Amino acid sequence: MRIYTYAIIDSNNEITAPINGLEGIGVYNIPYRDIGIVVSEGEQIQDITQEHILKHEEVVEKLMESFTVLPVSFLTLFKKEDDVLLMMQEYYSDFRENLDRLRNKVEFGIKIIWPGETIKNRIIEASKKFNADVTIPDNSPGKSFAKEKFEKYKIDKEFAEEADRCIALLDDFFSRFITEKKLEKLKSDNLLLNAYYLVEKEKQVDFKEAFERTRSTPGDLKFLLSGPWPPYNFIVLTKNGDMFNRKPINQNLAEKNTL
Amino acid sequence: MEYVTTKSKDVTLLEVLDRVLDKGVVISGDLVISLAEIDLIYVGLKVLISSVETMERLRGAPFASPMQEPT
Repeated sequence: MRIYTYAIIDSNNEITAPINGLEGIGVYNIPYRDIGIVVSEGEQIQDITQEHILKHEEVVEKLMESFTVLPVSFLTLFKKEDDVLLMMQEYYSDFRENLDRLRNKVEFGIKIIWPGETIKNRIIEASKKFNADVTIPDNSPGKSFAKEKFEKYKIDKEFAEEADRCIALLDDFFSRFITEKKLEKLKSDNLLLNAYYLVEKEKQVDFKEAFERTRSTPGDLKFLLSGPWPPYNFIVLTKNGDMFNRKPINQNLAEKNTL
Repeated sequence: MEYVTTKSKDVTLLEVLDRVLDKGVVISGDLVISLAEIDLIYVGLKVLISSVETMERLRGAPFASPMQEPT
């Protein structure tokens, strides 16, 4: 019997509230020592759809209302319950540490968009003007190429520095209410910041207010906030599963699960 | 952009996908069914492509970036 997994929780007790998982099948808790892993039977899971993904998230969020949760990545299936327990045994210390660290905390996502192309064009124009004022004409191909490369480097560097300054100001404001963060700068020219913040539940309101105040500040930045989420981005595992002696993909199984 | 409703909030589908597909507790190894990386990537891409196509249809315009704001 295949077992589909949703989340590790800080309880080894039975789940009393009825929660339906993928394919409408009820979830239950498999206890291991003082924690547990919430699962459902996975035999009927064949074609994966968008609804499956949303259902997975919905189950984790329902669990989050009652427990500290470590959400398991979508579509993590085990062959049998004994394998789940083996995995729990291997990862127990990691799970325990994460559950303790993430207790009463939730994740928020913030994306900040800036007019990156406009800013870059402004830097380019300023650079052209500066060069026109000070450079001595030199038409040799080698020097032109080197100069062009250097100009691009300077523009990119200045662009990144401006992004750093802007992010530092914004992040400083949000960071007053958080315990951990992960920042991704300039994933594209216009996506100034993609940030994940870990926030204590009791500081959620303060964090959201800080976001709203920042968003209402006049300017040409656009802000997107999502959350509260289970702490997907703040789980740290030291084990890597090597003990399970990964083998080549079972072709039959792969075909069975092909979408 | 398509919005999805979960119990407590409205979030974009891409925000869900960003987290659920390959973050959280990621277990690898032989105990796990079909989670060799190649399978996961394939599943992820198929779902993502499907989502983008849905959004294009809903918006009636090409989807240029996940950061586009809802219209």
